[in-house]
Amino acid sequence: MTAPRFDELIHPSTRLSIVALLASADWIEFGYVRDQLGLSDSALSKQFSTLEEAGYLTLERRVSDRRRRVQVRLTPEGRAAFDGHVAALRAVVAMAESETTTL
Amino acid sequence: MPPTPPDIGQDEARMALDTVEHRRQQVLAEIDVPGWYWWFLALGWVAVGVGTQFGGIWAVILSPVLFGALHAALAHRALSGRYRTGNLSVRRDVAGHQVMFAVIAFVIGLWAVTLGVALVADADGARHPSLFASVVVALLVLAGGPRLMAALRRHRARAGAV
Repeated sequence: MTAPRFDELIHPSTRLSIVALLASADWIEFGYVRDQLGLSDSALSKQFSTLEEAGYLTLERRVSDRRRRVQVRLTPEGRAAFDGHVAALRAVVAMAESETTTL
Repeated sequence: MPPTPPDIGQDEARMALDTVEHRRQQVLAEIDVPGWYWWFLALGWVAVGVGTQFGGIWAVILSPVLFGALHAALAHRALSGRYRTGNLSVRRDVAGHQVMFAVIAFVIGLWAVTLGVALVADADGARHPSLFASVVVALLVLAGGPRLMAALRRHRARAGAV
């Protein structure tokens, strides 16, 4: 079981969405994440840079069928941070529910 | 347990968990075989039907063997359910093994249906019972294959929700 660890970097909605998508995949194309989140290329690149600088994800650029493609994947550190963050969120909900039950 | 920031309330935590679950469902929606797979299976089935119906004894023996070998060569990656498109690779533990097992069971069932339809058609005096059976089953593949995948996705979505 993962220890709860709230992560300020992941918690903002856009970054949480990015990391949650990546958590269920080995890798995802840049364009797929952009389309699912409805962000511009530049806005998404900015979020990726923040997460990449934190060591939470890696970007791999490759050329396929004469097209430049960027594959994004979570690092083990990013996955651990995400798991810990989800555990922390669950702990908040569980705590609130137990307080409600006690009252 | 590390402290949770006090400004994170129950509602915000719930909303964040809903976001996580919504994004997980988006990836689960990608669990499928590649689009070409059902067409490959259907056309291969008809090709085997044609070979069996109009070919000599070698065609009757070799066409299913060749199709089976080709299918086996392509099946491993296609039936993992992790590469519907080139946009992402679903994690193995998220995709599970059900896609491969379900499609293999589906294919075994199709062989039984093909045999049954061909025997009934033959008994009924059809001119080309093998071809008729293969076309019927090819249509079943095209109609039933995507529905089978949709059912599997629903099953995976219910399992392990956040």
